Amino acid sequence: MALEIRNLKKDYVGPDGSVVPVIDVAQLSIADGEHVALIGSSGSGKTTLLHLIAGIVAPDGGSIVFSESKAGAADESTDITRLDEARRDVFRGAHVGYIFQTHHLLPGFTALENVLLGMSFTGRKPDPAFARHLLTEVGLSDRLHYKPSRLSVGQQQRVAVARALANRPRLVLADEPTGALDPTNAQQVLALIRKLCEEVAASLLLVTHDLDIARQLSRVLILSEINKAGRSATLPSVPAATS
Amino acid sequence: MNPFQLVLTQMRQRALSTWLTLLSVILGAALAVSVLILRRESTALFAQSDFGYDILVGAKGSPMQLVLNTAYHIDKSPGNIPYIVLEALRNNPALVKHAVPYIVGDTYHGMRVAGTTPALFGFDEYTGKPLAGYDEKGHLLPGYQAAGLPEDERDANKQTAASVFEIRVNKKFTLNQGRMFHPRKFEGVIGADVTARSGLKMGDKFKVAHDAPPGKETELDEHDEEWTVVGVLDKTYTAEDRVVYVPLVSYYAIPQHESAMDLQTAMQQGEDLSRFGKDRPLGDITTKPTTGPSTLPASRSSTGPTATGPATTPTASAHHDHDHEEAYEMTPDGLISLKLPKSRWMLSAVLVRTQGGQYSTQSNRSLQYIFRNSPAATAVSPAEVMREFFNTFLSPTTLILLVIAFLVVLTAAVSILVSIYNAVSARAREIAIMRALGATRGTVLFLICFEAGLIGLIGGIIGMGVGHGLGAIESSFFVQKLGQGINWINPGWEEWVYLGGVVVVSVLAGLVPGLKAYRTPVATNLVSG
Repeated sequence: MALEIRNLKKDYVGPDGSVVPVIDVAQLSIADGEHVALIGSSGSGKTTLLHLIAGIVAPDGGSIVFSESKAGAADESTDITRLDEARRDVFRGAHVGYIFQTHHLLPGFTALENVLLGMSFTGRKPDPAFARHLLTEVGLSDRLHYKPSRLSVGQQQRVAVARALANRPRLVLADEPTGALDPTNAQQVLALIRKLCEEVAASLLLVTHDLDIARQLSRVLILSEINKAGRSATLPSVPAATS
Repeated sequence: MNPFQLVLTQMRQRALSTWLTLLSVILGAALAVSVLILRRESTALFAQSDFGYDILVGAKGSPMQLVLNTAYHIDKSPGNIPYIVLEALRNNPALVKHAVPYIVGDTYHGMRVAGTTPALFGFDEYTGKPLAGYDEKGHLLPGYQAAGLPEDERDANKQTAASVFEIRVNKKFTLNQGRMFHPRKFEGVIGADVTARSGLKMGDKFKVAHDAPPGKETELDEHDEEWTVVGVLDKTYTAEDRVVYVPLVSYYAIPQHESAMDLQTAMQQGEDLSRFGKDRPLGDITTKPTTGPSTLPASRSSTGPTATGPATTPTASAHHDHDHEEAYEMTPDGLISLKLPKSRWMLSAVLVRTQGGQYSTQSNRSLQYIFRNSPAATAVSPAEVMREFFNTFLSPTTLILLVIAFLVVLTAAVSILVSIYNAVSARAREIAIMRALGATRGTVLFLICFEAGLIGLIGGIIGMGVGHGLGAIESSFFVQKLGQGINWINPGWEEWVYLGGVVVVSVLAGLVPGLKAYRTPVATNLVSG
């Protein structure tokens, strides 16, 4: 699924009533199946941009169009800025996988239940076999019925990865998914995200501070370069990885 | 995961809070259901109108006391009436179909001992034998139909049995074991529960005590006369099941009863009481008599239908020696022959079935009118009295209990509200995560209300079970006090309505936290912490 963003704007109103522009992106595109890294400094609006793309918050202007090519048929495109909140929620549940910086697993649910939870709001029948497959893929086949409190931080994040992929999304948004992990775990989790995104043919937009992580993706975007409202990025330009 | 699994998992997650909330709903529902059972069954029990008799004649005083004492065997007897009232009733066949005498005052191991005649049980009053159309146990014989059957239901090929007294509408006493007592022998038949409650059984001999509560009988209270159990009645599921029945005549044969009735008659008729003497002071009618000179009127003989007079007329001194032989003599064929003349006999009540057979008929009203203007006795309709009793005492009481139960359920609903509200506050991030995973605001609201409704439903159902358990306790209390249990097993329609109400109130209680969850800002809660 390809993503096309145009003239996307989001302002926040400060406590004193002042309007603070947070997002002002003229254009951003992600091709179908492309894995893109987005880097930016803290407070530059990375998470807000992801929330806008996921439809969690509504923009003040612009368009966010998801389009899918279908063999022998016209492309299907959906501008989620034109959907009301409930339909955005449903669209997100069906087509977008979200990985948070911290795992955000539900503590009362087991690893398997957390993954199944991701399948619960799409209107489709949950697929426990696929949930087990995902957890096996992330190396937790022997931890299916463990609650998050009994898993390590790295294992928790793997469950979160499996949950984000549970509905076979067409776009995965990952908000600093390796930020809380040590370098070894970070590499493993990144590899899992990429592998699973390829397995379900999902595009990936991954936000990170880590240049090493960013370089491993097919393209790197620097938020300060595309977001006129964000603070100036201090990061140097990063060449895109060739793979 | 379907909503049910989702909610169950969330409830499991905060098990303690869920259980405590559930407990409050269970307790509220149990209380309400037990009150509903109590209200329904006490209505059935006390507001019943299926007495086999439509008039009770007894002493002037409290009609309720008369009915409670006679029909339910609780409370004290309001007093005695002269036996001639029974005869007067029986001499009025235009109004009276059956009139059965009843006298109380003694107990056996705390259970009521009632003096009556075989007529109460549908047997021949003079012999204790079955009447035409009935067998030895009191069951209708094949080829016969009950006399009370309406004309249009009668079978032309069957004979009509003798008209008999029924303790409830279309329900007469029948014997489970043995036979009916002889009206002039020291024999008794016992209610179905007497054996279980006291161990008294067929063939046993027993003595009775003067109105002593259970466990409080003393040797002084106990009369010397001894009866033999000759029959055990079938269970009627009424207070009658724990009554020991003895012949009216044998009741009068107790010297203390004889002297008490003599005294009561003297007082009622304004006779000179000085003849009772110092050794027999007024009111000393419950203790064993002392031997001594005669203080009672001389020359008495019974000539009533149930106690033919003795062949010999006792002398005054012999009569008042207060030995057991004084109150009666045994005829050569072993029957009791009372010395106290029938004019001095007393009764606690007369159970009357009027000719109309239904309440509020002309004959019923006429009898009540006649006795209203009589100084000797009063006539009341037990159905009307109990209805009044219910409306005056039970109905408002149970209504108050019901209101309390409703308030308890409201409290339980508030506890659901508070519990889930707190949970929602603590679970703001979880809600935001679910929203991020695709749950709409409506879905979140639904899940919260579903959880509240589920707690209400589970708590309500368990509460119904517990409430019926309380109903069983209520029933045993009724059995203990009235000898008649209540139907605590089958749920009534009002309980299902109540359960529905609990669920609805619970769902409404869930709306408050549900709306809070509905308004939970997703982005803020995902980012914070």
